[in-house]
Amino acid sequence: MSDPLMPHLTPDEVELWAQGLLPATRDAHVAQLTRFAPEFGFVERVMAKVKIPARSGPHFRPHTDA
Amino acid sequence: MAWAKQGQEAAFRELVRRYERPVFSLLYRMVRDRALAEDLAQETFIKVLNAIGSYNPQFKFSSWIFKIANNAAIDHLRKRELDTLSLDGSPHATTPDEMSATAPQPGDRGETPLQELEARELGGAIEHAIARLRPEYRMCILLRHVEGHSYEEIARILDLPLGTVKTYIHRARNELRGYLEDRRE
Repeated sequence: MSDPLMPHLTPDEVELWAQGLLPATRDAHVAQLTRFAPEFGFVERVMAKVKIPARSGPHFRPHTDA
Repeated sequence: MAWAKQGQEAAFRELVRRYERPVFSLLYRMVRDRALAEDLAQETFIKVLNAIGSYNPQFKFSSWIFKIANNAAIDHLRKRELDTLSLDGSPHATTPDEMSATAPQPGDRGETPLQELEARELGGAIEHAIARLRPEYRMCILLRHVEGHSYEEIARILDLPLGTVKTYIHRARNELRGYLEDRRE
């Protein structure tokens, strides 16, 4: 049975990855290990415990490095 | 980040939405317990948002948030001695039989739906191998290969010398190779 987290890597490629020898294009695939999500409502639970300072300026534009 | 520093609720929400999966995933793989990982993720975001004014925009925001998440995970693991539990059993086990008897069994332990979910999510070969790494190696491998951070960024996140990060990742890969070979035999 194939590993659902590694759907396209063969066992040999998994071993190469562990050795740091997997070619970059395939290595990028390993980086796609599943990102898990917290339970529904996580944002609300966090926000309920955060102090929101009063608004101090008119500008409001999202920008992050993500 | 100027928009978030202004303390707007919508901006805070957006930050949490944007980073909830990476932060939760990192913590989940560190502690292998969904409820605990969520508590630690919540603690991380609360610290980040309440201290948003101290964020130094010279560094990547993701580096800052992962640094706080790492501290939360390491603090917890130290307190609970989970660092040596991993898949090798209790830190107090002194014989192979004791280690085996006290080791978590992700594939077999499904007493509750939550445990079954965790076993399914973390049951793959790579996940098993990563879980067996010591916490500092595990964190380095996750930041490098799951989050895609550079060695320099990892050094900054973990407050470690660059050479130490390279050594940890090299050793972690060797250990992973060994664990993966064990599984194939």
